[in-house]
Amino acid sequence: MNAFDRLYRILLRLYPAEFRDEYGREMTQLLRDRSLHEPRMRVYADVARDLIATVPKEQSRVLLNDLRYAVRMIRRTPGFSAAVVLTVALAIAANTAMFSVVNAVLLRPLPFGNPSRLVQVAEKNDRLNLPNFGASVLNFVSWREQTHAFEQLAAIGFASFNLSGDGGEPEQLVGNRISPALLNVLGIAPVAGRNFTDAEENPGAPAVAMIGERVWARRFGRDPSIVGRSITINGARTTVVGIAPAALNLFSGGDVYVPLTIDPAKEIRLNHVIFVTGRLKPDVTIQAAQAECDTVAAAMGRTYPEIRDWGIRLLSFFDTFVSAQLETSLLVLLAAVGFVLLIACANIANLLLARATAREKEIAVRTALGASRTRLLHQLLVESVTLSAIGGAAGIVAAIWAVRVINASLPPNLLPIPDVHIDATVLIFAVGLTLATGLVFGIAPASYAARTDVSEMLKTTARGAGRGRVRLRSGLAAAELALATVLLIGAGLLIQTFVNLQRARLGFETKGLLTFQLAPPTAAYPLTDRAPLFYRALLDSLQAVPGVRSAAVSSGIPFGQGNYTTSPVVTSGPSALPPDTPVPIDWRIVSPGYFRTMSIPLLRGRDFSDRDGPNAPLVTIVSQATARKFWGDMDPIGRTLHRNADSRAVTVVGVVGDVRSTTLNQESPALYYPMAARVWPLMDVVVRTDSSPEALLPMVRQKVRELDAGLPVATVRTMDEWVSNSATQPRLSAALVGVFAAVAVLIAAIGIYGVLAYSVNQRTREIGLRIALGARADGVVRLIVKEGMAVSIAGIVAGVVTAMILGRAVSSLVYGIRPDDPLTFAAVGVLLAVVALAACSLPARRAARVDPMVALREE
Amino acid sequence: MSLPLPVLHILVALADGDRHGYAIMQEVAARTDGAVRLGPGTLYGSIKRMLHDGLIEELDERPDSDEDDVRRRYYRITPRGRTLAREEIGRLAALVRHARAAGLTPKTG
Repeated sequence: MNAFDRLYRILLRLYPAEFRDEYGREMTQLLRDRSLHEPRMRVYADVARDLIATVPKEQSRVLLNDLRYAVRMIRRTPGFSAAVVLTVALAIAANTAMFSVVNAVLLRPLPFGNPSRLVQVAEKNDRLNLPNFGASVLNFVSWREQTHAFEQLAAIGFASFNLSGDGGEPEQLVGNRISPALLNVLGIAPVAGRNFTDAEENPGAPAVAMIGERVWARRFGRDPSIVGRSITINGARTTVVGIAPAALNLFSGGDVYVPLTIDPAKEIRLNHVIFVTGRLKPDVTIQAAQAECDTVAAAMGRTYPEIRDWGIRLLSFFDTFVSAQLETSLLVLLAAVGFVLLIACANIANLLLARATAREKEIAVRTALGASRTRLLHQLLVESVTLSAIGGAAGIVAAIWAVRVINASLPPNLLPIPDVHIDATVLIFAVGLTLATGLVFGIAPASYAARTDVSEMLKTTARGAGRGRVRLRSGLAAAELALATVLLIGAGLLIQTFVNLQRARLGFETKGLLTFQLAPPTAAYPLTDRAPLFYRALLDSLQAVPGVRSAAVSSGIPFGQGNYTTSPVVTSGPSALPPDTPVPIDWRIVSPGYFRTMSIPLLRGRDFSDRDGPNAPLVTIVSQATARKFWGDMDPIGRTLHRNADSRAVTVVGVVGDVRSTTLNQESPALYYPMAARVWPLMDVVVRTDSSPEALLPMVRQKVRELDAGLPVATVRTMDEWVSNSATQPRLSAALVGVFAAVAVLIAAIGIYGVLAYSVNQRTREIGLRIALGARADGVVRLIVKEGMAVSIAGIVAGVVTAMILGRAVSSLVYGIRPDDPLTFAAVGVLLAVVALAACSLPARRAARVDPMVALREE
Repeated sequence: MSLPLPVLHILVALADGDRHGYAIMQEVAARTDGAVRLGPGTLYGSIKRMLHDGLIEELDERPDSDEDDVRRRYYRITPRGRTLAREEIGRLAALVRHARAAGLTPKTG
């Protein structure tokens, strides 16, 4: 036999086993004959062509046969098949929907050209412990001149705009001031019209704007002729030069864009107000760029001593837009839903193992008729994959629907992407998962069934056989319980986290507060005189409305969207800190009566008044945490502090209670400055009522209109909504993992019940014998329960140990509870033991009722 | 039902005598001047289905068993195979007539 023969014998393995067994020898012989009479090369070519043409044909014939047989078997047991299909459909739907979110947030590239080359260029200050801070305009200009690692740098400023003068209702929109280079840097182009030109960055250039796709569609009906027309933005006539693509609102959900004009004379280097982004040159790594930035920053620190403590930090766009916490939450949720699928697989495998017993006769007959073990295994796997494919198809359809629900119901800003799609990656994942599911739950039952020994089968009845199978089924049930334990512990921790967050002392009263935003155009309302007077008039007029207890203004209410800024602050005179230590502190501008309106207690000193105007001495009110930080136990009233960037001393006139203002799980020290001296272009107004805040809204609108009919009332919310929005992510995580855990426990309980019921069924004769020999009913119950509980306890213990190991992964997601909280672990263990006991008691009671006469006669 | 081309070739090859696989292949190649050479997969794939459909049968006794290898399996056309082949050839002949009438004649060389 030559090498070619041997190769052909190996290639014959590509054919189905039956075909190979039947004709393999003849086919080899045929080739041998041909090689004797024909040129070798021609035979080789013919064989290659023949293999390619006939292997798929023979294989698909076998597969088709198996499929037909599978469909027949599936239809013969409709109840069983429906249960399997439904389980798979639910698990695949949940996994696919969850994966589509993970895919959209973590896997899909951001909607920019070659996004892996984009970085955020942030400022950092190690001394102030500020690892990721905004950049100043002057530093941006210096970087642009001095660095070479970037193709281009661009800056983004944040602003809100009042849009009017186009015939529609005046409207307040958030937006950005952007460098003309921004679209180039991001690798995107305007949808219509043109980008800004470099000249439009200079102060005094004609006013131009781009509007976002969303507002273009909503307000202008996608009318292309809007490009070139002029509209009124913040009271100034402005020419719309282009329509910005939707990708641009990743930065602030913006709808209006104007050029970021740079007037170096008006800027200071310590004013960190912009977001800077750059595109790395093709051959430059982020490390190399960081090294260059470090050199540039050090040189700048020597030239401009005020920024000597500030450096540059480059972050990938992924790190900028996907918070570590969001990433962890998503991965934990994906793992949780994956656990549900695994439990479902174990349970289906258990059902199939039970059924394999019922099919032993059928299998034995087929084996006797000459079906090989491989053939049977193949056949049984085709059957289980067919079952899972039907379930998977239904699951994918359900997932498409679920993703639609997710897009419609998720609050905006929860995910850093406009919406979730089912794309090719998700579909491949879902199909792959479906096939894997069918193989996973099918492999153990199929190999057991195919191993069935014919002679054994014919000699004995089913009884007594298959001890190994019982062990396997017990193992599967224990694994199900272990996974359910892990999920339930996770759910317990996340639910308690959510409850803790709800109980967190906010430091103010949320009930009965209506909030909205106003942005009177600064041209008509200068920030230091007309604007404060406007708000004073508005507050007086709102306070006169029946039902209003009080009203106030703040540059940023807690949990709102307003401006609040962190500035390094230094104290003068005696302090609890070493002299000249700057501390970053959040600060806001508030009106007199703000603390009363928010029910924030004034602990010492006085509230602001209208006399704290631009010409009065500079005053501030500090929060308790700030006071403690700067002055320890000393009385803060009358002491002075100043911003690091501004040497003017500010005197403390009051101390108020601490407030949670950005996240529920974090208390932040704060400073407050008086409205009478200066306001921001965009301010939050809060109104406290005795009744429902919503009922007050028409009156509030009326009062604003009376003062300025062109001023839109924006972002109307109740304080409860703001707070509730801030807890969306922990609430969703807790709810989802809770649901997954409930499903898991239910399936696991069914699993334990199934194993035990099967075991009782198998042992009817033995139990009958025991009863006949005088065993008492409670003894029989105890026997069966003991068997079931041994399996259950093993599963629960394994689950508890696994949860302890996995606990570290969720430590960043829990609040007010340790990830290894003993009480939660114990409670879950006990709860699951009770559930398992209940599941065991049904088959145990059935065993106790076994009639010995019937059981023995059955034999 | 029209028969696949390899099946028809095999039926024609078996029409005037029982043959084993290699002989069928040689016969087909000879009749078509080497234009059709059935590969092993095609040949035995077709044989398997023809056996299943009752177009041919496998012989129990080996003709010329002295001069030939005993391991070879011989096949014989069944009456049903003959009938189906005849019908198919008839259809093809009719098609050839129609083609000629329409001026569609094969190049002869």
